[in-house]
Amino acid sequence: MSAGRFGLLMACGGAAVFLCFAIVFLLAIGRPPLTTLVQMVLYGFGDSYSFSESLVKATPILLCALAVILPARLGLITVGGEGQLYFGALTGTAVVIAFPDGPAVLLMPAMLVAGAAGGAVWSGVAGVLRARCNVNETISTLLTNYIAVLLVNYFIYGPWKDPASLGWPATIAFPAAAIVPTLSGTRVHLGLVVGIVAAVILHVGVTRTRWGIALSVLSGNRKVGVMAGFSFVSQTMLVMTIGGAIAGLAGICETSAIQGRLQAGISTGYGLTGFLVAWLSGQHFLRAVPIAILIGGLIAAGDALQLYSKIPSDSATILQGLLFVAALGASGLAGRWSTRHG
Amino acid sequence: MAVLATLSSIRKQFGPVIANDDVSLEINAGEVLALLGENGAGKSTLMKVLYGFYRPDAGSIAMDGSVVTFRSPRDAMQSGIGMVFQQFSLVPALTVLENLLAALPNAPWLQFRGGARVEAAMRWLKRLAPDLDPRRPVLTLSVGERQLVELAKVLNLDARIVVLDEPTSVLTLSETERLYGFIRTLASEGKAVVLITHKLADVAACADRIAVMRGGKVVDRAEARDRTPHQLVEAMVGSGLVGSLEPPRPPESTLPVLEVRHLCAQVQGRTITNVSFELKAGEILGIAGVSGNGQSALAEALARLVPISGGDVVLSGVSIASRRPEGGMASDVAYIPERPIDNAVVASLDLSTNLLLKGVRNLPFFPKRAKIERQALELITSYDVRPPIPATLASALSGGNLQKLVIARELSGKPRFVIACYPTMGLDVLAAQSVYRELFRHAAKGACVVWISEELDDLMSYAHRIAVMHNGEIVGIVPRAEASRQVLGRWMAGHVSEAA
Repeated sequence: MSAGRFGLLMACGGAAVFLCFAIVFLLAIGRPPLTTLVQMVLYGFGDSYSFSESLVKATPILLCALAVILPARLGLITVGGEGQLYFGALTGTAVVIAFPDGPAVLLMPAMLVAGAAGGAVWSGVAGVLRARCNVNETISTLLTNYIAVLLVNYFIYGPWKDPASLGWPATIAFPAAAIVPTLSGTRVHLGLVVGIVAAVILHVGVTRTRWGIALSVLSGNRKVGVMAGFSFVSQTMLVMTIGGAIAGLAGICETSAIQGRLQAGISTGYGLTGFLVAWLSGQHFLRAVPIAILIGGLIAAGDALQLYSKIPSDSATILQGLLFVAALGASGLAGRWSTRHG
Repeated sequence: MAVLATLSSIRKQFGPVIANDDVSLEINAGEVLALLGENGAGKSTLMKVLYGFYRPDAGSIAMDGSVVTFRSPRDAMQSGIGMVFQQFSLVPALTVLENLLAALPNAPWLQFRGGARVEAAMRWLKRLAPDLDPRRPVLTLSVGERQLVELAKVLNLDARIVVLDEPTSVLTLSETERLYGFIRTLASEGKAVVLITHKLADVAACADRIAVMRGGKVVDRAEARDRTPHQLVEAMVGSGLVGSLEPPRPPESTLPVLEVRHLCAQVQGRTITNVSFELKAGEILGIAGVSGNGQSALAEALARLVPISGGDVVLSGVSIASRRPEGGMASDVAYIPERPIDNAVVASLDLSTNLLLKGVRNLPFFPKRAKIERQALELITSYDVRPPIPATLASALSGGNLQKLVIARELSGKPRFVIACYPTMGLDVLAAQSVYRELFRHAAKGACVVWISEELDDLMSYAHRIAVMHNGEIVGIVPRAEASRQVLGRWMAGHVSEAA
């Protein structure tokens, strides 16, 4: 059997297993499974509004997934999307707080650059620790997540709290000059374009360039990579900072376009979801795009279900978990099959 | 003699490659059967079919006269077949005893130390290696010791047929001698031993019967005493293919090109101290010594892959000690490290990528795929790497073909300084000869060659001078004409130089 056909078969198998899981789950919570599933598809992708909302949810997930995939190409496993997203939101907001009356032509790029830089620095810390001191990047990115979230809390409860917000922990509303452009009539914003363009560029980068060779050689056998003249230290710094910058952009775009101000809960676990999307895609930049949109749809549908069908939106999270289990299980089985019979 | 296992008309195909083509073989109790053949002749595949690791595409296996089907190695083990692979399957972090306990049949989920189970686990190891402390973690063992533990593990399962896959390729001389002894003992106790090998020395030392494989077929079967080494080599490689190798001519120039002065370095606990020698253009310096006496550390220091803590290496008047290790290998230095799978190739990448690593920094930012593939195919074909498909992953290559891949990459250019660390380890006669030809070709063109080897006979036939390393130092250097096994042997044991 050819690898392509085999992969397709596995994907169908995974989908079938997911459907079984989902039906059992919906029966267990006393919902008609087929109607609910059809409803979910409709709420996620049924009309242009639902679809646009799915894209809104997909945007930060995609960006966080890219921030995981790039280090993974060097063999690094990072789970820091959430922290990079929060810190990027914080540094981007700092620019807006400092120059609330700046002209859009300066304020907007400055805000985005600051957001990206914040994410890059946050991720770069873990990068330095990994490259210079051999500190496990998974642990360091996981732990620095908490710091970033709490830092944001500190600023919105403290120095940056909008006095007019009547105690609600949030900054002032962003001026119009600091709202990233959206597709007219929807909340789909610039971040999605950034995500898709970045996915394409990075895909070309890792598959078609000398840099991509460096990454794959270093991740496959570092000793040989160094022998060939590649530097693990500088490549680690590069992938960590680029990844962080992308996640930082997710944070500032979400803050600006969706929330309109920096407040608690700018991310509902986008970092972790991005991590899962990265693994579902097999650390493949282009495959991450449709998968992120699919997961975005699932989340959006969950919100809609809660609103219209009075099913807790957490059920969507559970369904999402079932999807990951089914998909990762299928790919794991596929891997085992191909080593046995390859 | 009792026939234990019969393989009848076994056929196994991997994609386009027919690894076993209608192979029949009998395995007898109390007999050592040498399964002899070149790399890729199908020996390992055949035994993996017997071991239940592969399912044959056609043919059958009979144990004690009745046909059996092994769905997995577990089935084969239950029928009394045990196999020791080239890559060991021990858990490095666990101790010897823990490894043996875990491998016992019906190992309980909760392991208690002591009692009958420990007795059972240690039964064979006590005979094979009475001095080995079972509390040592496997990662602290030498390769030879690991092999004994692996063998004990297989014997613990009451194996009646013991298959050893190239067991001597990783062993030192004395370890090899000891293993021969064990193999003879096992046979005398009625076990059947199948020895997969390409070394004639193994056959001479302990085989009763020989089956020679070539191109997936058994081409010769005989009692060991009925065949001369020459007949065996001809059977292995096909008649008329083994040419003799001309020893390289002495270097024409008299000026030293490479000067190593008081070189000191430390590599992961291995130290080299005060190593000095000079090489003329075209000169081949053989470095002998018991493995683990600093040879590979010396190679890495000469290749500037590790920081030098003292001394200097000067090539054509330029110190290469000042080159930063982070800068990678210089393009005029060719380095063939030991254990290519760990030190020279990226197993997870394809052959064409592995082949371009030498000059990878000079590639354009957007390398041209087609050109890379074409160049890779040329190299693969001219160095006879199999399978000759550039998109193959390096992990799919056998040891010998990996070595050829590295040779193709390192020696296809115009190096001025060649460092070869055990370059023919794991290679068969023909492949080893072609490696030597490559080394000598570069020497003839004026490159300095440092050739680290354990094959004393080869060093004494081909190297211009031979140095012996012991405990991180060069104990002595002697021209080939004056070298004798006695002197070199004394030096290898660390008895410092009286004159040769």
